[in-house]
Amino acid sequence: MERYNTFKRFQGVLLVWFKLILITLLIFVTPSKILAHKINIFAYVEGDTIFSESYFNNGRRCINSKIEVFDSAGNALLEGRTDDAGEFSFKVPGKTDLRLVLTAGMGHRAEYIIHTSELPGAIEEKVEESVPQPAQREIPVAGIMREKKINTAEVSQINLEEIESVIEEVLNRKLRPLMKLMTKSQENRVSSTEVIGGLGYIIGIMGIIMYFRSRKR
Amino acid sequence: MHISEGVLSAPVLITGAAFTTAAIGIGLKKMDYDRIPRVAILSSTFFVASLIHVPIGPSNVHLILNGITGVLLGFSAFPAILVALFLQAILFQFGGVTTLGVNTFNMAFPALVCFYAFGYGVKHNNSMIALGSAFGCGFFAVLLSGIMVATSLVFVGKSFVQVARLVVIAHLPVMIIEGLLTVFCVGFLRRVRPEILGG
Repeated sequence: MERYNTFKRFQGVLLVWFKLILITLLIFVTPSKILAHKINIFAYVEGDTIFSESYFNNGRRCINSKIEVFDSAGNALLEGRTDDAGEFSFKVPGKTDLRLVLTAGMGHRAEYIIHTSELPGAIEEKVEESVPQPAQREIPVAGIMREKKINTAEVSQINLEEIESVIEEVLNRKLRPLMKLMTKSQENRVSSTEVIGGLGYIIGIMGIIMYFRSRKR
Repeated sequence: MHISEGVLSAPVLITGAAFTTAAIGIGLKKMDYDRIPRVAILSSTFFVASLIHVPIGPSNVHLILNGITGVLLGFSAFPAILVALFLQAILFQFGGVTTLGVNTFNMAFPALVCFYAFGYGVKHNNSMIALGSAFGCGFFAVLLSGIMVATSLVFVGKSFVQVARLVVIAHLPVMIIEGLLTVFCVGFLRRVRPEILGG
């Protein structure tokens, strides 16, 4: 009997609170307002420049927030601040994994990593070119015919590089809207599934605790 | 108000986790069988409140509702807020799992302070005193949380005054809204179920 009364009391309390929550939800939560305050940073490489965009979960841009860039060893390479559109761009500082760290006030922080493979090939080639060239110069000792061959090879290589850079430029231009779209889609908004799931978890945890407590009694 | 992962240093994280663990122990001990549903429901409220974005003011802030949580739960606010923050961290990526201890303490400790400061006032027969206390409870819980966030960030080399000013100014609309919400809740509970006020 005592247990029945306790149960009745729970029911009363539960009812009141569910009503309260419902009222609060109805007043304040319309779907467009299910937004959060996480911050995001997204970056992409275009030519020899890295573009980054920073925004809150609701799409509002992080203005004048600090962005620091670190290499794979954790050394700070450069830092800057986002502009009015939440954007910040800089020249690729070197051939290394880049870690962009965004800090907005009040302890918000987000990271984005650009891997070496995403960086443009041009930088890699520039570095390597300086080494093999002296080796090529030594070959012509073998004769004029060979030298000619090398020359044609060099010419075709240059052409290839030119073609490559032209293609890269055009692709960048074509891909820019796509990249912007990607950035937008990365704004992972909180879905109602997660909210309802979370509430379910809480009820579940309550059930587990009550189960163990009732066994103890 | 949620401090993200990777902002704080290890000593701060460990201290926060230690304080929270101790308080959770007390909270669970004080949470008897009859009060478990109440704790769960306030935990749900807290969990959802962070999704309610307040579009007023210069920054991007949301409701916290730790004042009402505190005044109705006392020490049990700690387990309630811990569960809610944990779910927010894994489902919405608010805050983070490593900063859970610090974040819980930053939000639940002001709740506890408000419980002791306003718990008696809220139960008072005079409705002006009760509703005034309710407003103070909602208002000061958020204010104190802001100050505690600023304190946590001091240890990683941020200027206390600068962060505190930023957090408090950004949360001023939230403080007022939460004060009013707490007045609304307390006014409602006084009529319907006065015995659950003040823990």
